[in-house]
Amino acid sequence: MVRKMLMRNIRCWLVFLVALVLTFSVADTPFCAFAVDEADAGSAIAVAEGRIVVSYRAVSGADEAGANTSALLAVLNEAGLLLSRANLAYKMGDFDSALDSANQSQERLNGFVAQAVVLREAALQQRYWDFMVYVVGSIVGTVVVVCGGFVVWFFLKIRYEKTGRVV
Amino acid sequence: MSLGEYRVLFLVVTGILALVVASPALSRLLVYPRTEFFTELWILDVSHRAENYPFNITCNQNYSVFLGIGNRLGYCAYYVVQVKFRNQSQPAPTSFGPIETRVASSLPSLFNITAFVADEAVWELPLQFSFDYVWDEGRSKVDFLGLRLNDVWLNMTDYTVSWDPDKREFRGFLFFELWLYNASSNVFQYHGRFVGLRLNMTAKTL
Repeated sequence: MVRKMLMRNIRCWLVFLVALVLTFSVADTPFCAFAVDEADAGSAIAVAEGRIVVSYRAVSGADEAGANTSALLAVLNEAGLLLSRANLAYKMGDFDSALDSANQSQERLNGFVAQAVVLREAALQQRYWDFMVYVVGSIVGTVVVVCGGFVVWFFLKIRYEKTGRVV
Repeated sequence: MSLGEYRVLFLVVTGILALVVASPALSRLLVYPRTEFFTELWILDVSHRAENYPFNITCNQNYSVFLGIGNRLGYCAYYVVQVKFRNQSQPAPTSFGPIETRVASSLPSLFNITAFVADEAVWELPLQFSFDYVWDEGRSKVDFLGLRLNDVWLNMTDYTVSWDPDKREFRGFLFFELWLYNASSNVFQYHGRFVGLRLNMTAKTL
């Protein structure tokens, strides 16, 4: 009799345990998915932020070299706006929108650094030639004018001494 | 003409010619270096003037202003404009004293506007905003629900403004703080500048 009751108790406990495990496994599924979404959105935002900083440094270098960076800055401003929207959505718990905006922000910056580097190189090249033509060329030209003037004066003076006139 | 007169004439002509040839180099070498580096921050009304700013704010009515930044820092700058709202009793950013010692408002930012501005360039953003709020007549205060800023909905459920019996208005301040990215320390720092709008939530139209 006691053994029978004990078996019944054990069976009840087993059923309860199985029910408990099943309940938690079912209930846990959406929470797991939710957590993954939040983590995904957070990491996408972090990646987008990093990409914006890298792009900013690239465009800053191009600007410093004297390149016209207005088109690149317009793209960077768009990416920045999308990142702001992603941060706002994340703060409000809308992780789908946050992930979407962060991904869009990253996509806007595809190939951005390469473009900035090309612009920077072109600007540096342009600056080099500007320097060579306008500064070096101008100084050399001035020296030539002054030295040429002395040489011409030297010959004119000899001519004047020989003939008594310059022209 | 004597030889001396020829010499003077020749020297003048050579000198003028040398100056003309040297002018491109001189124009680049004789430039006075920039000594002041700063940022301009402004807010203008819908006609691009500093005159008719929105003041009496009706619920869900759209208002327009222009927010502008002029970069004179000597390099391409990465700014963030923090959009904040405060009532009469909440802390404002400090606006006096040296810029380095000024502090931002401790209130949370409702939204961050990112702006990348090239050196010597100007950036301007048209802003359209509307407030959604309800008037709590019993407690003489306005409870905000949200702010729509350029089609972005910002939650303002914790924000209220109380009736000011002296000025006879529900006074609130929408203000924009300027933060600058510091590339060496990799953080944003308050740039000591803000602009704002003083607003009156018009109880008549509630």
